[in-house]
Amino acid sequence: MRRPDLVALAFETITLHRLRTGLTLSAIGIGVTAVLLLTALGDAAKAYVVKEFAGVGTNLVIVVPGKVETSGGMPAFGGTTRDLTLEDCDAVLRQSASVRAVAPFSLGAGAIEYEERSRDVRVIGTTAPFVELRKLTISSGQFLPPGDPRQGDRVVVLGQKVARELFQGENPLGRLVRVAQWRFRVIGVLGPKGTSIGIDYDDLILVPVSVGLKMFNQSGLFRIMVEATSPEAVPAAREQVKAVLIARHDDDEDFTLITQNAMLQTFSAVIDALTAGLAGIAAISLAVAGIGIMNVMLVSVSERTGEVGLLKALGAKRRQILDVFLVEAVMLSSAGAAVGVAFGVTVILIAAGLWPFIPLKPSVGWIALVILLAVVAGVSFGLMPARRAARLDAADALRGRH
Amino acid sequence: MSAGGNHAIITLDRVSRVYQVGESEVRALDDVSLDVAAGEFAAIMGPSGSGKSTMLNVLGCLDTPTSGRYVLDGEPVEKLTEDQLAEVRQRKIGFIFQSYHLVGRMTAARNVELPLIFAGVDPRARRDRVQAALEAVGLAKRLTHRPDQLSGGERQRVAIARAMVMEPRILLADEPTGNLDTKSGEEIVALLERLNAAGLTLVLVTHDPRVAAHARRVLQMRDGQIVEE
Repeated sequence: MRRPDLVALAFETITLHRLRTGLTLSAIGIGVTAVLLLTALGDAAKAYVVKEFAGVGTNLVIVVPGKVETSGGMPAFGGTTRDLTLEDCDAVLRQSASVRAVAPFSLGAGAIEYEERSRDVRVIGTTAPFVELRKLTISSGQFLPPGDPRQGDRVVVLGQKVARELFQGENPLGRLVRVAQWRFRVIGVLGPKGTSIGIDYDDLILVPVSVGLKMFNQSGLFRIMVEATSPEAVPAAREQVKAVLIARHDDDEDFTLITQNAMLQTFSAVIDALTAGLAGIAAISLAVAGIGIMNVMLVSVSERTGEVGLLKALGAKRRQILDVFLVEAVMLSSAGAAVGVAFGVTVILIAAGLWPFIPLKPSVGWIALVILLAVVAGVSFGLMPARRAARLDAADALRGRH
Repeated sequence: MSAGGNHAIITLDRVSRVYQVGESEVRALDDVSLDVAAGEFAAIMGPSGSGKSTMLNVLGCLDTPTSGRYVLDGEPVEKLTEDQLAEVRQRKIGFIFQSYHLVGRMTAARNVELPLIFAGVDPRARRDRVQAALEAVGLAKRLTHRPDQLSGGERQRVAIARAMVMEPRILLADEPTGNLDTKSGEEIVALLERLNAAGLTLVLVTHDPRVAAHARRVLQMRDGQIVEE
């Protein structure tokens, strides 16, 4: 028997019962749409997180003071945490081949005042390389000037929002402001950046790190930001930074290294698991639709008992009868998948248009997988009814007996 | 037993077909022997339950004997598997039924095409053979009609065209005129006689003595046996 004939026979049959076929197609279509929508949501969540982390800079290694670990028993002697210092920064930059730039990072909070207006802001102390390391932009003026980090003028760079709120449209460049009772000259305003891993770069101010430490009476840095020469060099840079700091800290690893990659992998893994879970839930509706196919096929076989008997009398073999019914089931399921893909993709595209901040987009991988799933469902749920048809006794079937 | 000196195309040798119904056995065919010569026209008559249908099913390879030998066109078929029997039916046997057994959703041409499709015949060759088969039964102008647009007589002629399209050796007819009015019935019998005259072996089961009267040989069945010729 020729394949086009098999398809033609199946097509003639499923187009005959329009309502029945339509309902079956919708059942599968809904299942397929559900899988596509939920996986698209999962993918969007992942893309969102990836985008957030990409804002950190893919080459980044962050040094945090203190060791994050779980340990039992008595704390070891000398287990005190040493401060991360500007000297540590220098050493890391000088002694690590895979490190391109280092920026110290101190953090405090205080009120910034200009004339009679005042605003509570975070105060970040850092150095010139920070602007590139964190991929910041300057909308006017300049960033903190390069130079010895241990010295620093009383200059400040304002976040977008701080400049806007405090100066109300006035040009802030060159103006004097007070921060925590210290006087600063405004030398620049950041371009818009928004929130990146919990820090709103529009609502903070940046001062030279030596000044920042002094202002808040801090002896150590909050973070050291290290930039590797390339994303591939991150693991090497990480090891080098670790070695340099351990040597400087009396052979004690009293700090923690965070790479963007490690964070990203953790989040990605969590979201992938969530997406798979969502897809699994949606796949239940596909299974239900598969049972719908089985039901429709069983009804069809029982209605067409006489026809099966006739085909057998005409010389159709068991396998051919099986194929006839199986192809019908698979056509139903793949047509349903096509409907579901068309509908699902449309909904995703509309949603992406309505909410552009959610990175929703249809995924070729999921579409291929869901079509495969639907076809597999068609075969597996169509097999039992098709077998039943193929096994009918010809003489009995001709008399309409099952 | 064979007639006219032609070789036997059907030979049943002490064939029985026994059904198990609950505890008891039903001998639908009881030790039947029969020769049918090639080109013969035989009618099987008998009351309901006499074993006519079982006889036709066994002859048509839709059912296999419980015991005995059946040689069809020189080929022993009593031991063949289901798929081998399907092939024998495909090549050698045409069926006609009282209720026509046309597929309602298909046109006359498509119905006639069915055996060719399952035999894997090339689509272009199929067109010509379907056309010729329908012309032979006088329905050249009804190709695209569906069964519900045809009269009973026309439907049975479509069924005959379908039975003949694979050019079988034997045509088995189960009450072919049972659902037809007298005139249509006579036309169908005339058509069958014409096919028989052209060399086709014809075995039909009928209740109607007027139909049986056309046969050169009438077999009376009772209780699973041929009681009279």
